[in-house]
Amino acid sequence: MKRFITICQVEFVLFIRDFFGFFFTLVFPTMMLVLFGSIYGNNPIYLGAEVGMIDVSVPAYCVMVIGVTGLMSLPLTLAEYKEKKIYKRFDATPVGKKSIMVAQVCINVVMTFVGFLVLLFVGLVVYQVQIRGDFFSILLAMLISVAAMFSIGFFFTAVARDTKITNLLCYLSYFLMIFLSGATMPDMLFPESVRTIANLLPMTYAVDLMQGIFSGYSLTNYITELIVLLGVTLFFTIIGAMLYRKKDWA
Amino acid sequence: MATDIVLVEDLTVSYKNVRAINNVSFSVKQGEILAIIGPNGSGKTSTVECIEGLRKPDHGSIQVFGKSPREERSEIYKLMGVQLQETEYPSKIRVDEQCKLFASFYDRPADWNLLLSQMNLADKRKRQIHKLSGGEKQRLSILLSLMGRPKLLIMDEITTGLDPEVRQNMWQSFDAIRKTGVTIILVSHYLDEVEALADKILYMEKGNQRFWGTQNQFREYVKGCIPQEEWDDGCSLEKLYLKLVPKTQGISMEGIL
Repeated sequence: MKRFITICQVEFVLFIRDFFGFFFTLVFPTMMLVLFGSIYGNNPIYLGAEVGMIDVSVPAYCVMVIGVTGLMSLPLTLAEYKEKKIYKRFDATPVGKKSIMVAQVCINVVMTFVGFLVLLFVGLVVYQVQIRGDFFSILLAMLISVAAMFSIGFFFTAVARDTKITNLLCYLSYFLMIFLSGATMPDMLFPESVRTIANLLPMTYAVDLMQGIFSGYSLTNYITELIVLLGVTLFFTIIGAMLYRKKDWA
Repeated sequence: MATDIVLVEDLTVSYKNVRAINNVSFSVKQGEILAIIGPNGSGKTSTVECIEGLRKPDHGSIQVFGKSPREERSEIYKLMGVQLQETEYPSKIRVDEQCKLFASFYDRPADWNLLLSQMNLADKRKRQIHKLSGGEKQRLSILLSLMGRPKLLIMDEITTGLDPEVRQNMWQSFDAIRKTGVTIILVSHYLDEVEALADKILYMEKGNQRFWGTQNQFREYVKGCIPQEEWDDGCSLEKLYLKLVPKTQGISMEGIL
């Protein structure tokens, strides 16, 4: 256990030193929240609505944080370690690459939750954001969303033969998803054709689930979203793991 | 009689349709230094990677400390230190962090602060690894291979990128390490290094084992392989080796001018 903690400490330091991961996980979503908050405030999203702009933005930006860690930070780290034969070097120690990979997943999950906390803190203190959902439903919604996005990132590293392809897949999916899923701007602004495309993206279901649960709806109101996200998690994890088994690490 | 630390029997490895290693068999006894030599692409690195458990053989058996390196990898690595032919480290990690990380892998790690001083890396401990020179990275790589106080060391091109003085120091260090009973397998293209250190030589060519034995036996082997008029009793190992290996064509000026 002590050994694993040391690995996690090192991976944590490396995460913090990576400007991209640090900025887009911990700073950028909060900047967006403050920016949109300064424009719209926490006024009702439509006349007579019970929830304000920031009330729905906080859970959406939480999904944006998941996108950064799950679709960018984790897969790009995995791809770099594989291509530079860093995992191979760890395989030539008593620890092996699996411990390092598990530590990398753990650190990215932890940093995702730190990103959530920063957003919630700013939302609560600056905009008195309303969180009507119960703690366990919110936690479960977050975990399921994290699992779905991380499994897609994991799959990209398994299917891509090198870092360049992984980069391409990650950047394409990340930007496509954060702009069309409602994670950055409300999907009610989109025309019908864009909404049709958005409905094909797993992140759209994560945004809908998180916004609903934050607004106080029960998980049972989001069965479709839960099925999609769990299905995505299972599919991409299983296929990714099968492809990983065939990879040449030497 | 010293025990076999490494025992390789009928090792065969193929990559797709290419036979990279073909029925190679040898052993390394405790306290021995075995040098694996041969031209590029002769299967040297593939052979040591099989011993390290990093590559799966198609056929044959390998035992390291009496155990299978593929099945009992973590047990073997408690006793084995490895320097890979090519490896990098996370780009933003610092020298001291990498040492601390590797030290945490072992129950009784080496004193890495002392090793950093001995490797002339003490003033680089806070430097990120990607900012080190090639020779400094190589010295760090050697240091990390020693972190677990190994009983078996496998060094693939140990002194590549090191300046002549550091190379000589490394030879002395590895000779001293061997005298403590540590077994060493060394892959090298430097025949002066092999001559200075190796007890036994494994010579490979196109994946085939051409020779395995002592340095004197290797000289006799070369004598039998080359024309009588080319033989010289006082010849260095490097000159003998050059007589032995298949000749390659140099770059012609026509291709450049």
